[in-house]
Amino acid sequence: MEIQIKELSKYYYSDGRIIKALDNISITIPSKRICTLLGPSGCGKTTLLRCIVGLEKPDSGEIKIGDEMVWCSKKGINIPTEKRGLAMVFQTYAIWPHMNVYNNIAYPLQIKNFPKEEIRKKVEKALHFVKLDGFEKRAATNISGGQQQRVALARALIAEPKVILFDEPLSNLDAKLREETRRELRNFLSELKITAAYVTHDQIEALALSDVIAVMNSGYIVEVGSPRQIYFNATHKFVADFIGRANLVKAIVKLQQKDKTIVSSKIGTFVCQKRDFPVGSKVILCIRPEFIYLKEDKVSKDKNIITGKIENLIFVGEACEGEISIGNERLMIKIKSESTLKKGDTVNFMVSADHCLLVSD
Amino acid sequence: MNRSFRITLILIIIVGFLTVSPVVMLIFGSFSRGLSVFGDFTLDKYIAAYTDPDLRKVINNTVIFVFGSSLVATLLSLFLAYLNNRTDVPWKFLFRIISITPMMIPHILFSVSWVLLLNPSNGIFNLILKQLFGLENSLFNIYSLGGMILVEGLLDMPIAYLIIAPAMASFDVNLEESSRVCGANTLQTLIRVTLPVLRPAILAAFTLCIVRCMASFAVPSVIGMPGRIYVLATHIYQTISVGFAIDYGKAAAIGMSVLLISIILIIIYRHLTSESEKYVTISSRGYRPAVIELKRAKMPLFFVLGLLLLILIVLPVLVLVYTSLIPYSMIPSARAFSMMNLNHWREVIKDPISILSLKNSVFLGIFGATIGVVLSIFVAYTIVRIRTKMSGILESLSFLSFSFPGIVIGVGFMWFFVRTPIYATIWALLIGYIATYLPYGIRPLSSAFIQIHKHLEESSRVFGAKPLTTMRRIIVPLLIPGITSGWILMATMFLRELSLSVVLARPGSEVMAVQILRFASDGLWGRLSALGIIMIVISTSLVALVNFIGAKLKQ
Repeated sequence: MEIQIKELSKYYYSDGRIIKALDNISITIPSKRICTLLGPSGCGKTTLLRCIVGLEKPDSGEIKIGDEMVWCSKKGINIPTEKRGLAMVFQTYAIWPHMNVYNNIAYPLQIKNFPKEEIRKKVEKALHFVKLDGFEKRAATNISGGQQQRVALARALIAEPKVILFDEPLSNLDAKLREETRRELRNFLSELKITAAYVTHDQIEALALSDVIAVMNSGYIVEVGSPRQIYFNATHKFVADFIGRANLVKAIVKLQQKDKTIVSSKIGTFVCQKRDFPVGSKVILCIRPEFIYLKEDKVSKDKNIITGKIENLIFVGEACEGEISIGNERLMIKIKSESTLKKGDTVNFMVSADHCLLVSD
Repeated sequence: MNRSFRITLILIIIVGFLTVSPVVMLIFGSFSRGLSVFGDFTLDKYIAAYTDPDLRKVINNTVIFVFGSSLVATLLSLFLAYLNNRTDVPWKFLFRIISITPMMIPHILFSVSWVLLLNPSNGIFNLILKQLFGLENSLFNIYSLGGMILVEGLLDMPIAYLIIAPAMASFDVNLEESSRVCGANTLQTLIRVTLPVLRPAILAAFTLCIVRCMASFAVPSVIGMPGRIYVLATHIYQTISVGFAIDYGKAAAIGMSVLLISIILIIIYRHLTSESEKYVTISSRGYRPAVIELKRAKMPLFFVLGLLLLILIVLPVLVLVYTSLIPYSMIPSARAFSMMNLNHWREVIKDPISILSLKNSVFLGIFGATIGVVLSIFVAYTIVRIRTKMSGILESLSFLSFSFPGIVIGVGFMWFFVRTPIYATIWALLIGYIATYLPYGIRPLSSAFIQIHKHLEESSRVFGAKPLTTMRRIIVPLLIPGITSGWILMATMFLRELSLSVVLARPGSEVMAVQILRFASDGLWGRLSALGIIMIVISTSLVALVNFIGAKLKQ
């Protein structure tokens, strides 16, 4: 079931100033896919999620879940949260401390007055699904964070909702558990073929989990695309910078070829992915550190080659990360951890045209 | 023996002396023949006390009174806390006023003002109603169990509010929101999630109210006794102060069960508060709880709030001012206003005992609260920071006096002091006050210590400061808010102290509340009101002054 959002706005008033939490947002969250709302804190992603679920009232616009209009400012439609038939996993999990695991999970069905026997079967199934068999009688306050998270997931799944919403569900787990749970969650969700909207500020989580990523910044949606599109082919500087790490260098368009664009910059001339910028316009050249390869043999071409002096190099285990200087410019690099290079060495690097991304200034 | 061990031990001795010795005296006294504590062993006092034919009625009254007023106080504060935290009712600063002001209006004056309003012979409100509707008899009789429950319930409401409101404020709203997402409507969510999560806090408030009501003496003496409705507190008071057969041993024998029940309830209360803290999960994100729009219910609920403010603060003060100015009880009218004069005030100022009681109370309030707070700082520090088994003992000891019904423990203190030179002096009152009200100082200070991160203190130690220097330079300045609120609590308690004082005060060591009680039993309402107003003005200005100093020191 897809979620359509049209021209949604939400303002907050604080200290006499208007803060645009959502600024005329339109987006369609596709059916049976995992869609991530990604952005820095304060970008409005959680507000958007809370508007969808009905815990927050937008100021204008409309929200449609499937064929049902749940919010429309013009027609004065506002379906209350409890009648929207959604499920949500909260950042704090919101496990009710006065109930045991069984009652926490059974709650949505109890509210809908399902027969007891059916509830019991479904809870058992849900617990099995999240690998918490036999946890029914445990007190909700007496289980670990990761287990609470899974109870919250089981509770969200039990009523077989059309849509599940996730509000940074992994942010309270430690790094190792987070990675593990992320993988599990991906498996759960693809198995269920369910529509999911997922809010996070963690780009790795977004890349790993999503079918679609919507990158948000200060109340509007910057870009929507698949994880690969967002990572390799971002069209906005903000997105290129926010996802992963990127060297951003000012450049000028020199030549437009059929499938390539050529730019010049202080660090050299680069053949880049095709972008329709007019010749002579100022652009930003974006190169990710992990795509800057060491070139130890003789340099034959004069394009896409960076010659720089190593300023620092730090061993971080899986790689060596550091900076090189080319005149006044500095670039982040990431090379193999076996490298024997040291500070002060001058070396050649190469970047393939596919990894030279041009974004507007 | 290391230093922290020694500090803990010294504090245990001091606090133990303050809290355990009166209890021990009480136990000995109740088993002892004759009037002294160390007479021959006997069970006579218990037999006499518990075969008393009046006791059954007294216990009945006590149960109804205590449960009734605790219920009134808890429900009222639950309603107010919900209104304040979760709805868009206007003028929320009123809640703060309602929750702290009753501390400045002494219980005995509050009770007296209701007597002046609703007594059957010449209560002002009753007179007005009679005149308006041409009634033969008075509509309300304050001298009844209902009247006692109403007044005591209103008096204890702030205590319950101060427990329930923070629990409601720290309530994780996600718990409610997730219930809504699961398909439950507002009412279902309230019943199935909100109230159950708050249950420990609500029960804790209720339990504490029961303890306070059992210990209450102002309402039972001012409202209950004229109506011949005796509860345990007044029953004990009667045994030790009325007639020829004064029997402290018999009073102690009854007091033992009151004390025992109180101690058990305080243990339950502490269990409930720790349970309630377990439920508190402050959400990591600063979302304000979704405020419920009251819409059409807004004005009626606001009206209820205003009415409460009127009943709790405005009306009592107005009645006292009015009564202090008129020669005898009458309906406010042009005639009454033309007859107003300052005679009652003059009489109070000329009355040497009133002036003495005033001086004594102010001394006890200022000096006693200062000593009490200093002791509380050390005790709170030891409880919060030196976490050993010994400091656990200290915590339990310092909490013990929370359960002390003043009049019962007063008997214990009396026996204790009677062998010392400080008997019948103001110092006896001072020690008794500090012992009985120690938790009022320790509570705000220990929560202040919990908020001060241990690292702040440790880094001072690392840079070479001795523990006492660290205390003076780092801890005390950070503690200022805790110190001011502890001082204010203790000082206002001491200024209006009644139940312990009625036992311990002797000629020369009278205090204001006792003098007011005396005026009340003599029916000298005018003088009582004048002295009462002076009392309110003193405690209010003390609170304002200390708040001001605290704010200055914090900068």
